[in-house]
Amino acid sequence: MARISLQDVTVEYPIYNAGAFSLRSNLLAIGTGGRISSEARRVRTVTALDRVTLELGDGDRLGLVGHNGSGKSTLLRTMAGIYTPTRGRIEIEGRVSTVFGLGAGLQPELTGYDNIVRMAMMLGATRGQAEASIPEIEAFTELGDFLKVPVHTYSAGMRTRLTFAVATAAQPEILLVDEVFGAGDADFQGKAKMRMAEFVEKSSILVLASHSGELIEKLCDTVICLSHGAIVASREAAVIR
Amino acid sequence: MSAPDERKGRGARFGTGGDTASVPAARTGFRAQTAEISHQVALAWYFAWSDTRARYKRSVLGPFWLVLSTLIGIGGLALVWAALMKVDAAQFVPSLTIGLVLWNMISGSVTGSAGVFARNATVIKNIRTPSLRISLQLLFQQAVNFVHNLVLVAVVLAIYPQSLSPMALLAIPGLALVLVNLLWVIQLLGFLGARFRDFEPLIGALMPVLFFMSPVLYRSHQLGTRSFLMGFNPMGYWVEVVREPIVGSVPSAFTYAMTVAMAIVGWWLALWMTRAKGHRLAYWV
Repeated sequence: MARISLQDVTVEYPIYNAGAFSLRSNLLAIGTGGRISSEARRVRTVTALDRVTLELGDGDRLGLVGHNGSGKSTLLRTMAGIYTPTRGRIEIEGRVSTVFGLGAGLQPELTGYDNIVRMAMMLGATRGQAEASIPEIEAFTELGDFLKVPVHTYSAGMRTRLTFAVATAAQPEILLVDEVFGAGDADFQGKAKMRMAEFVEKSSILVLASHSGELIEKLCDTVICLSHGAIVASREAAVIR
Repeated sequence: MSAPDERKGRGARFGTGGDTASVPAARTGFRAQTAEISHQVALAWYFAWSDTRARYKRSVLGPFWLVLSTLIGIGGLALVWAALMKVDAAQFVPSLTIGLVLWNMISGSVTGSAGVFARNATVIKNIRTPSLRISLQLLFQQAVNFVHNLVLVAVVLAIYPQSLSPMALLAIPGLALVLVNLLWVIQLLGFLGARFRDFEPLIGALMPVLFFMSPVLYRSHQLGTRSFLMGFNPMGYWVEVVREPIVGSVPSAFTYAMTVAMAIVGWWLALWMTRAKGHRLAYWV
């Protein structure tokens, strides 16, 4: 049922320096025409993904590796429909769940309970579903009475517990995960990895970007390596064209 | 070859969500679309409401600071203006109060619009988000403030009773027209402000002038032959279309025509912008 198909997908970020961003240079460009306009209007771009082609279907578990800035996160965000390719085709069939940019929708002045509902709704749950997920999140985060106080009183690790728990509470179909581990104590790290494994188990397609070879080996069966936005290597050639 | 071009036309779903990647098959039916829209509206509402709660969480008066600051504004303006213009308080104060409460909502929406997408950049960059939902959230926030301020209108109307006829009910469709207009303004200016960062200070600089060009401190018929000045300020009509029925006169057909025309043209522009540039928003913020 679920399917991800990318054909020659290229993503270019425009870089708007103050010049290109400002109305002045655009007005100036209209006013003067010709010479200045060609300079003022030029928007430089960074190629974040370079002709990426891949096909994923039910049961595929894809790992993304590569150095910082190699395009892993951009690829995930493109698959999630956040970035639209500047060239190429992308087709997604199935509901997409994402585990990255944790804490989108977090409002530090509100309590943990309020924020569970906010973040879960932001991730696509209805109000009722969001409220129904509370007991399970309570149990996993072990935050106890802290859920009743504003989130700005939380430590970084406690905040991670909360945001991670909410992000992994849904029923995933296509699951896109960016490196999320790092914060939290050893006890939580262990629990989080177990929860992640269960969460992945429920999904139909997984794409995971990580620097942890161990994690990728455990959760994925195919690995592609990105460099400067292009696929430079893959460990299972059958899936990657 | 170019996927974005093919998908531009698919904005039939709520906002830009539908045009960034192909829509899952299960969600394309009419019922699924309705469910999606109601989810987005519920989301915008919940966020607007809880943001308002968060803003006043640690203050003693809470959201009634909104009311208090409007009250101080009305008190000051009424005092100075009534002395300057030697107008009758019983007529002037109700008109001023309604005008100012409306103006607060209008100016709050317009000034907030240019930065609305930039302020929600974390959401836009991490979760697929229909841009119209972000705009709707700002409108809801302003509407929440507006409803708080209605307390003042009630108090003022109790002190200076107006002979409210059934005609006053015309204020309700008037208010609906204003809200419909404000949403396109937020959406359109939001896109412009996300791309051109000069828009926000520009709008901030224009608002005080627009305030004096709007019939808040006066009523448009008092401008006499110079009432054409109001023609340059769309917001003037939005104040009139709600206030006039309450203070005892039916807004002119011209006011209605202008308000409806602005809504049609504005929505057309806003939707055109959303379809043409919705997929670029994540790169702009």
